[in-house]
Amino acid sequence: MSAPLALVAYLTMLSAISFGGIPSVLPDLHDYVVATHGWISDRDFANCFAIVQAVPGPNMILMMSFIGWKIGGLPTAMASALATFGSPCAIAYAVFGWWDRFRDAPWQQAVRRGLMPVTIGLVVAGGFVMALASDTGWTAAAITLAAIGLLLGTRLNPFWIIGAGGVLGACGLL
Amino acid sequence: MSDAAAAQRPATHITLPALFVAFLKVSLAGFGGPIVWVRRIVVERLGWLDEQEFTDIVGLCQFLPGPNVVCITICVGAKFRGPAGALSALAGFILIPWTLGFAVGALYLEYAHLPALQGILRGVSAAAAGLLIATGLRLLLPHRRRPAALLFAALAFAGLAVAKLPLLLVVAVLVPLSVLAARQARPAAA
Repeated sequence: MSAPLALVAYLTMLSAISFGGIPSVLPDLHDYVVATHGWISDRDFANCFAIVQAVPGPNMILMMSFIGWKIGGLPTAMASALATFGSPCAIAYAVFGWWDRFRDAPWQQAVRRGLMPVTIGLVVAGGFVMALASDTGWTAAAITLAAIGLLLGTRLNPFWIIGAGGVLGACGLL
Repeated sequence: MSDAAAAQRPATHITLPALFVAFLKVSLAGFGGPIVWVRRIVVERLGWLDEQEFTDIVGLCQFLPGPNVVCITICVGAKFRGPAGALSALAGFILIPWTLGFAVGALYLEYAHLPALQGILRGVSAAAAGLLIATGLRLLLPHRRRPAALLFAALAFAGLAVAKLPLLLVVAVLVPLSVLAARQARPAAA
């Protein structure tokens, strides 16, 4: 299978199980495209992640598009976008309505309570792996830690936290 | 969606173009978490949903795979106009914002090798990684007194980030176990 086709197939599978959002696919995807196949570099992967933070809109879908773009140009970028939201959309459509009918069923309460911790672990893992991928020493780690503290400890708009990271980077601290 | 829901709510004014435009706005407003903007536009400004309906949809979407906002988009579109509504809302959310974002981002990527831009991208990437971690930790706070929840969150994290296991394996093993544990935890309700 060609690299673009393999990427799109893999993304379709990953997005269908991306509980907690697309960030939860980052560790696995990073392993697949950087370590296993070497299609793009660690740096490229981190760049795709960074760039989409600065544009509004569907940013994780865009990140997958840029990875696709690096691997197979514009057609792969578009196919990667489709692969990222296609299966989740189909699942959302299928489940919507049906879910409401069983809202008070004990099994649904258990599914809610059981899925939650797993999705949390997956999202934190996504952040952790991106912190490692973009790591350039203790200053990057300090920025990551500061961002965690600011989001948890203040009501600051995340946009400013991202911006501050960019400014510190522009000053040549990283 | 269901006939009953449609009968309760006169949704004739919620046309396909209106769905397209509403979610186009949500998508472009983007900064600071799009869910905030769905609320502001769909609930407060347009009055299409009341608080309870919105909370229900968000609650469902947090448990489904994929981007939460995309799921909300599909559910709101489907609620008022069925499959065509879901597609219109989705098209509004994706088409124009994706094209704009892709054009801008591709430009950045072309120059990503320049030292000045590299520094910025590294800083942004480090901060954004921190935000992801913090988002997860914040979600964990309400569950901090449930040992089983902490255990499964830790296992999911370790499986993916430390042991580097495939996502499919982590999900396929941990989700059933975690649901089972959550079921055991409240035998009275079962």
